Amino acid sequence: MIKRLLIIFTLLLTAAIFARLVVNYNEHGELTKLAQRYVGQGPAELGAANLVTAVVVTYRGLDTLGEVTVLFISAAGAGLMLRRRERPQATASPVEKKPASEIVETAAELLLPIIFLFGVYVFVNGHLTPGGGFQGGAIIAAGSLLLLLALPQATLRHRLISITESLSGFGYVVVGVLGVILAGGFLDNRIMSLGTFGTLFSAGAIPIIYTLVGLKVGSELSAVLDRFREPD
Amino acid sequence: MHELIGSAIILAGSVFLFSAGLGVLRMPDAYNRIQTGTKASTLGNILVLLGLAVLHPAWTWKLLILVFFVLLTNPVSSHALARAAHVIHTPEADETVIDQLEDEELEEARAAGSEDKAGSAT
Repeated sequence: MIKRLLIIFTLLLTAAIFARLVVNYNEHGELTKLAQRYVGQGPAELGAANLVTAVVVTYRGLDTLGEVTVLFISAAGAGLMLRRRERPQATASPVEKKPASEIVETAAELLLPIIFLFGVYVFVNGHLTPGGGFQGGAIIAAGSLLLLLALPQATLRHRLISITESLSGFGYVVVGVLGVILAGGFLDNRIMSLGTFGTLFSAGAIPIIYTLVGLKVGSELSAVLDRFREPD
Repeated sequence: MHELIGSAIILAGSVFLFSAGLGVLRMPDAYNRIQTGTKASTLGNILVLLGLAVLHPAWTWKLLILVFFVLLTNPVSSHALARAAHVIHTPEADETVIDQLEDEELEEARAAGSEDKAGSAT
């Protein structure tokens, strides 16, 4: 009874919070000054059809570098916390693991390349369509999760993953510094020609940056997922 | 005209999706729930996507890729779920008549057992 009352009370409280938002909501009639600047000059200045990407990668590029760093630190923290024991008991595991059925294995093998391809598509087209480095990287990591679940005997190549991760992070900073030397500032995307608006090879360095971010996020999250696996 | 046809197909799909939800509520045990949830929702999803293809012919190929994805993943995931439920001995409904996976496993265990016996005899 008390539990039910508590639930009702919590629901009412939540409703009260959102009711204030709904009642006092009035739509902004016009863009703020900063938004006007982005919307008005963003496409011509940076050549990115997806304005959100232009803001995230170039105008606010330093923030994105910070986000990538946060992700890196949390992955490193997870690695520190979940470090595998060096198998103190080498005896057979108590529960014998049943292998996944043939149907699951076949479907996973069929799906994996498609999932990875879709992830790459999402981050390569980050400057044209919704999505980008983080989203594409998450899709690639989802593919790795499918691999780890459906084919438990498969192993990820840790060296390759950490090399990919380090190189893409390094490349990201190098592109940023090149922006200082060749163009207007750190992470400026105009170090290359802007190309034709709306095509795959356009918007200067944004596709390169997002490819690097996608590779970094994908390899990082895959490594985190792999660390959660039980040692066998 | 094709707006009407497309909407009708989407409506038919939503009927199947509704029946999938109803089946999950009404079916007696986990296996039956998995099967209604999968079969009806697969057909419902496909019909909704095809209805969208009629409404927006330009999206047809992308929607067909989605149909392929649904057709591939939905049955496989329900298969994996049902198998996992079977492995941890999720109870079946009392009305269940036949359990071929159980029979197969018993058969395999018996075959392995007799092999062991033959091996120890020689």
